[in-house]
Amino acid sequence: MNTIEKLTTTDKIFKLLDSNSSNHWGEEARVVAKEAFLKQGIPSRKHEEYRYLNLELLLKDDFLVTSSKTLTCDEIAHTQVLKNAIVIVIENGKYVEGHSKITLPKGLKIIDISKASSDVIFQKQFAKFADVNTDAFIAMNTAFATGGVFVHVEKNAIIEQPIHIIHISAASESLLVNVRNLIVVEENAQAKFIESFETILPNTVKIITNALTEILVQSNAIVEHNKIQNESKLSGLINTTQVYQKKKSVFTTNNFTLSGSFVRNNLNIVLDDEYIESHLNGLYLTRNNQTVDNHTLVDHRKPNCNSNELYKGIIDDKSSATFNGKVYVRKDAQKTNAFQSNKNILLSDDGTINTKPQLEIYADDVKCSHGTSTGKLDEDKIFYLRARGLSEASAKKLLMHAFASEVVEFITIEELKNYIETKISERFE
Amino acid sequence: MANEILEEHINSDYKYGFVTDIESDNAPKGLNEDIVRFISKKKNEPEWMLEYRLKAFAYWKTLEEPNWAHVFYPKPNFQDIIYYSAPKPKKELKSLDEVDPELLKTFEKLGISLEEQKRLSGVESRIAVDAVIDSVSVKTTFKETLSEKGIIFCSFSEAVQEHPELIKKYMGTVVPHTDNFYAALNAAVFSDGSFCYIPKGVRCPMELSTYFRINASGTGQFERTLLVADEGSYVSYLEGCTAPMRDENQLHAAVVEIVAHKGAEVKYSTVQNWYPGDKEGKGGIFNFVTKRGICLEDNSKISWTQVETGSAVTWKYPSVILKGDNSVGEFYSVAVTNNYQQADTGTKMMHLGKNTRSTIISKGISAGFSNNSYRGLVRIAKGASNARNFSQCDSLLMGDKCGAHTFPYIEIKDKSGIVEHEATTSKIGEDQLFYCKQRGIDTEKAIGLIVNGYCKEVLNKLPMEFAVEAQKLLAVSLEGSVG
Repeated sequence: MNTIEKLTTTDKIFKLLDSNSSNHWGEEARVVAKEAFLKQGIPSRKHEEYRYLNLELLLKDDFLVTSSKTLTCDEIAHTQVLKNAIVIVIENGKYVEGHSKITLPKGLKIIDISKASSDVIFQKQFAKFADVNTDAFIAMNTAFATGGVFVHVEKNAIIEQPIHIIHISAASESLLVNVRNLIVVEENAQAKFIESFETILPNTVKIITNALTEILVQSNAIVEHNKIQNESKLSGLINTTQVYQKKKSVFTTNNFTLSGSFVRNNLNIVLDDEYIESHLNGLYLTRNNQTVDNHTLVDHRKPNCNSNELYKGIIDDKSSATFNGKVYVRKDAQKTNAFQSNKNILLSDDGTINTKPQLEIYADDVKCSHGTSTGKLDEDKIFYLRARGLSEASAKKLLMHAFASEVVEFITIEELKNYIETKISERFE
Repeated sequence: MANEILEEHINSDYKYGFVTDIESDNAPKGLNEDIVRFISKKKNEPEWMLEYRLKAFAYWKTLEEPNWAHVFYPKPNFQDIIYYSAPKPKKELKSLDEVDPELLKTFEKLGISLEEQKRLSGVESRIAVDAVIDSVSVKTTFKETLSEKGIIFCSFSEAVQEHPELIKKYMGTVVPHTDNFYAALNAAVFSDGSFCYIPKGVRCPMELSTYFRINASGTGQFERTLLVADEGSYVSYLEGCTAPMRDENQLHAAVVEIVAHKGAEVKYSTVQNWYPGDKEGKGGIFNFVTKRGICLEDNSKISWTQVETGSAVTWKYPSVILKGDNSVGEFYSVAVTNNYQQADTGTKMMHLGKNTRSTIISKGISAGFSNNSYRGLVRIAKGASNARNFSQCDSLLMGDKCGAHTFPYIEIKDKSGIVEHEATTSKIGEDQLFYCKQRGIDTEKAIGLIVNGYCKEVLNKLPMEFAVEAQKLLAVSLEGSVG
């Protein structure tokens, strides 16, 4: 029974995407990816990596792959949260130059990904890091991506302005978007990125976005990657971030899931050289019927690297949150330090938290630890604040805000930090 | 103590690797309905028992072998196993004098001299032993002393004959035959095992113990243990296992069920030392065991303690279902793997009742080419208010060819639940070693010392007699693993 259903969903999605596929950039990768997608199929709940998600239900609608709706500048104004930033707007899975604000500083190149095929670096690096055989959504995206951008930061270039990639979709009928980005930061270069996800849609349809960003961080480069997931009620987002780091590079990712009915994050970081630093931080505030599922994988392949992970969540109403953090330490990766922490607060009786911090270690000279805790707000702390004249509600608000702020502190872009802080305050009002 | 460890080192390896020359009565190889009937007939079982077996067998045939664990091994050929092997002669034994002297020698080698036990009766620390060789329970000691208190402690097949109402009432209630592949297999072909019933309000005066031994070649051992603690009772139960050295892989698929009624407390300790295979990873026991206890009513407590040093592949998760309010579940484990051993072990704590508490302490040590995984589940169901769990699982790595893995699953559906989990992985600290060596303790002994300290939290939970054995086992298992 299950297998039949799985086949139909996979086949249905494949047919839909394949018959509407008019994109031919990255053709070589597409052929392989189609096969890989059909072979794997949309994962069912029996799939270990997707056991807490019901993708069948999410993908059962009839979808379109292109939207007839276009947005005006006013409609996307609210998404541009930074005054001083390089803004890239990707509307319904396609790069829209007209909405973007790009004044390229020296050493930075931004190209519509569907027109990047002639670029030598693009040719060399595109679809080299996200393996289509490891995940059905990587395969789907590689096979059917409609657009996105290719960002290249030259050797030794230090880009002061943050680069803000806005993914915005609007539709009047249910829509399935496959969007793809490639970011290459060359040796000694530095850059800060923000990727935000927004949708505008009536209450009767849904938008499913399958977004994939590959990031190559070359030797000695420093990259900060912030993600804001703030989609509307009926939106679903499958967001894969595939990072590949070289020697002595530093990569930080801060992931904020604020709304959206269904969010799945696949964050894979490969540390394939020595003296690399990786920082993974995440915050998810869920309510109503939201489902948020964070899967992270840190793959320590070489010695002397550090990774640090902190994911925090506050779960309310009937929402459910999943955290699955994997740390692999391969045989050669001696002197690895890998730390992982996941903390959750459950506010309601109907909420669910599933957490699985997972370590797989094959080297002996390492220091690895993980910890997870789940509980309610500390009664003592509430009492302390109430004894000082705060009402119970405001005491709880204060504590929750403080709990969440720990993750916000990792952002180095001041303007963005303030924006997230405001969003958190609004959330607890 | 140090001398003893040293001696163990010299004698080294697996000291229980002998084969006892006892004539045995085997069933033909293979598995089909006739074999199930054969076993049932051999044991002179009532009709309902046979029906249960056949039901389980029919269900087993519909199942596929599970493969989700982090272990890799050649799949056993279920048609190439002897499912029933009993030591001959099989007549009623009245006293120890009638026991086959070869058998008695086996026990002496195992360190559980039955005669000694008998003579020592009246001495403080007494242990009642039920010894299971291959498939059949050969001797239960202290039966009379226990029956004065109303405690039933006998082999499973005896219980089927003499206490069918208890078996009918409890068997399969904690681990149903539909539970998993190996539980279904066990329900179909189980040969013997132990049964224990502690009546209301009785505190069992001595440690109850079962020794399992696989002796005959080509056999699989499928025993079943059922332990029922009635209201307000207490029992501490020990289990030990050994097997001869053989090139082939032998299968051990046991089921242990524990039922704790209101206010009852059960402590179940295991020292598992099945033959782990040789240095090249050849041979050894596949230990695929389903162990589960249920805190059926309020204020009950089940505590699992295990020291796992043997078996080529271990795959077991002693679990507790915390159904009664205020019930407590505990899991203390030390798992040591060396050479090519693989262990995937841990626990499940299912919080269903209110104010339930569970503690998990797991210590994994891997050396050589081995892989050691902790896999555990803590689930707090909706309505299980004020549940509390604390888990700690540490791994120690010795050498750069081995692996240590942690797969904790935590599922929470109640807001008042508090769950904490922490895990660390590291190697033995250079400074700790240096400190010991500086004081004239050689590396090997220093490691033994540090490892024992590392496991202390768990070893402390074992009954005295076992704790000593376990410490020695740890030292022997890790011998030669210092690079």
